[in-house]
Amino acid sequence: MQSKWDIGEPEKPTINSETEQLKSELLTLNMGPQHPATHGVLRVEIWTDSEIVAHAIPHLGYLHRCMEKHAENLDYRGIIPFVDRLDYLASMSMEWGYVMAVEKMLGTEVPRRAELLRILTAELQRIASHLMAFGTYALDLGAFTPFLYAFEEREKILRLFEEVSGARLLYNYIWIGGVWNDWTDDQIARVSSFVDVMEQEAKKYHELVSLNKIFVERTSNVGVLTVEDCFTYGATGPVLRGSGYKWDLRKNKPYSLYSELEFDVPVGDGERGVVGDCWNRYIVRMREVVESIKIIRQVIDKLEPGPVMGKVPKIIKLPKGEVYVRSEAPRGEIGFHLVSEGNDSKTPYRLKVKSPCFTHTSMLPHMAPGQMVADFVASIGSIDIVLGEVDR
Amino acid sequence: MSTTVHESSSVKEYFKALYDGIYTTAKGMWITFRYVWAVKPASIEYPEVREVLPERARMRLFNDAQNCISCTQCAMACPVDCIYIASEKLPEGAEIKKTSNGQPIRLKLTQFTIDTSLCCYCGLCTTVCPTECLTHSHDYEFSQYTIDAMKYDYLAPDVVAWRDRIVKA
Repeated sequence: MQSKWDIGEPEKPTINSETEQLKSELLTLNMGPQHPATHGVLRVEIWTDSEIVAHAIPHLGYLHRCMEKHAENLDYRGIIPFVDRLDYLASMSMEWGYVMAVEKMLGTEVPRRAELLRILTAELQRIASHLMAFGTYALDLGAFTPFLYAFEEREKILRLFEEVSGARLLYNYIWIGGVWNDWTDDQIARVSSFVDVMEQEAKKYHELVSLNKIFVERTSNVGVLTVEDCFTYGATGPVLRGSGYKWDLRKNKPYSLYSELEFDVPVGDGERGVVGDCWNRYIVRMREVVESIKIIRQVIDKLEPGPVMGKVPKIIKLPKGEVYVRSEAPRGEIGFHLVSEGNDSKTPYRLKVKSPCFTHTSMLPHMAPGQMVADFVASIGSIDIVLGEVDR
Repeated sequence: MSTTVHESSSVKEYFKALYDGIYTTAKGMWITFRYVWAVKPASIEYPEVREVLPERARMRLFNDAQNCISCTQCAMACPVDCIYIASEKLPEGAEIKKTSNGQPIRLKLTQFTIDTSLCCYCGLCTTVCPTECLTHSHDYEFSQYTIDAMKYDYLAPDVVAWRDRIVKA
């Protein structure tokens, strides 16, 4: 007698053709949250067909700290330490964007020396951030040495920042109305000597990594994003410029004193691979380091002694209204939408952050289909995301 | 969409790629090889060798309770609310002491506690302090076994004993 659990032989699927026989199921893989290639706590759910990625879904929120909501309960000076923690590799640029939004509503005039020092710190920060991007990108692709070289130079910048602001990563240096501390002549001299070294180092990195045949093969023709794709998703910064579109807020909508300075906007030109691939996005960052060096040299020539803090009331109360200020951070355009309801309120009504990394993360599902898993790692590295800014 | 397509290459292209691969790799190897003699190490061996911290380095907070006037400005400036201050009125006819920069101390400080586990080391509290008694010291090695031990009461005798070590003359 047959047991009720016995369901007999499993039914064999009928095979119609050779192609259907070879078809396999999609395998779901979790890349992250603790994956070294995702640069933080990003979890990407990838559906793989053997070695080919069929679909990728980024899952966000592992580093969500409620910063935007929390800012509604803080006074305007107290928000700066939280803004620091958005993009923790480029804190100076984050601070500057927020501070510009408050200053625009307050109508504060920033002293000339303070503006120049802000440009100096922001450009040094851009070099530090791009060095980190360069080092970790090479690390993702299996080269360990460039990472050490990049950190050696980055350390010099962090040491300068520590001396001038007191912290290595989360500075709280750029304040509403100016900057916290003045740079001494000795520190400025060290910056100019660092810049000379950095120029040589940039050439070294170019020979070591950028033109290396293995690196070029790994990154060229991988993860191609056209200018149309970038416009559709709202990409900015090196990702947009890597696709060959010349757009830099420092040049196109100059803020601060950038209109007085001379520099080029590097774009991906397809020297290796095609325009818009990983190699071109990478090389835009390395060329921006050279441009930042140019800017720093001009700023040092323009520096004159003077005050570094403008006149700001002791308790900041903004008038009723709203403002949206965007600026060029190392990873793209960072925008701050600040709403104040007036009524002697010491806190903002709303602070919305437009994060470049968030828009770039949303491009991953577009880049992924059809790539190898190893190429997908190269794609994530090339858009250079920082998860503190994605999740906020 | 964006798979790398390896088209069948001609013999010339094949050898060009081979040459490029060897040449660029050797070039990179030479850059790294020079580090064997010419460059001194960039790192230090931490517990034995210590870096001198810059003057402005922001490490553990220290409050010199003798100079504190209980104005609570630091507690109001703190973005994470980690400073707890309590004070009471001086008894009738008590002598009003003065701080080192000449401000009268009109209140008796009964509690000044900082929860260092919450502190974000932003430095906002030290900038508003009118008597400059709240400062960032250069102590950075203060891990504890329990989170309660991270709360420092600056009126406790063992914490006051830091003063001789930390507060500059």
